[in-house]
Amino acid sequence: MTLQPVSLLRIRWALSAPVLVALATACATPPSKDYSKFVAADPRSILVVPVVNNSVNVGAADYFLSTIPVPVAERGYYVFPVHLVKRVLEDDGLADASLVHGADPMRLAALFGADAVLYATIERWEAKYVLVTTQVTVEFEWVLKDGKTGDTLWRDHKALAYASDDAGGGLIGALLNAAVTKAAPDYMRLARQASGAAVADPARGGFPAGPYRPEHEADFAAVRARSGTR
Amino acid sequence: MTSRAIVLALAAVAGSAGCVAPQTMYHWGEYDRRVYAYHRDPLDREAWVEGLKTIILESEAQGQKVPPGIYAEYGYALQEEGRSQEALAYYQKEKAQWPEAGFFMDKMIRNASRAASPATGPPPTGPAGGLERKP
Repeated sequence: MTLQPVSLLRIRWALSAPVLVALATACATPPSKDYSKFVAADPRSILVVPVVNNSVNVGAADYFLSTIPVPVAERGYYVFPVHLVKRVLEDDGLADASLVHGADPMRLAALFGADAVLYATIERWEAKYVLVTTQVTVEFEWVLKDGKTGDTLWRDHKALAYASDDAGGGLIGALLNAAVTKAAPDYMRLARQASGAAVADPARGGFPAGPYRPEHEADFAAVRARSGTR
Repeated sequence: MTSRAIVLALAAVAGSAGCVAPQTMYHWGEYDRRVYAYHRDPLDREAWVEGLKTIILESEAQGQKVPPGIYAEYGYALQEEGRSQEALAYYQKEKAQWPEAGFFMDKMIRNASRAASPATGPPPTGPAGGLERKP
């Protein structure tokens, strides 16, 4: 008799936290990803260019662009100021993100003196409203190109699902909550998670530690050892 | 309260705020949210500039490196307000802190110098500037 309320409470607790599930960890590149070009190029600075949005959500590109610089810089690379970069590109006739992605990466890099250019494309950004939850599914493509040669140094494809679910306050509370969530899902949180996941450590398919991280040398040495390019 | 006590109190506040997020190398404040808000609504410029100022002041007060790009973003905000001379100083700071920015900052410096040379033009207005703390 006394067990049931306790377990209900536990379920509530478990449900009250927003849950972020990496759907496609299997899709995310396995640890055997080839980093030899990345390591050979050894970029110090990364130019993050405006995000191309192929999804139906018009605001998605702004969310993503704003959350890319922090994790890339925290990974140990110099990141060019995204807002100023956007303005300079506009002045150069590249106001549209798809124009930027279509431009010669070497030309882009030369404008800023960047070692590498990071492109992000949103393939899918869908919000699905179920009775008491809002589930957002995102899918995106990342490509890092060498500023000197235009070669692709790294690429990744990731899909994530974000479910906001709160059972607190009973059914009415849950319904109210769903209504609020529908109005304003925490897309910033989702975008941060997605950007962070993309550039996280190489064991998870991300960037090896850059020159501003203390583990840079060790990380690059490990990658060189794995790919046999010493 | 001595100025030292104020600095310590500020550091304590900043330190406790830093505890919320996982350990980061730099102090970013609300940078990503501000970039987003400013891109969505260019009228939100004041909050954007204030946010940049806060990152610079808090990082410097803690003896930390100002994160990549922030001095440059702030310099550009100054330049937009016609404060080219002050903008130059921030482009220089970005370049000094981050050598990778040298090429780009040299371009911005040349650009701002051209605007700064004639002592004419409208008087500077706007939220940027005034970053230098009073002694």
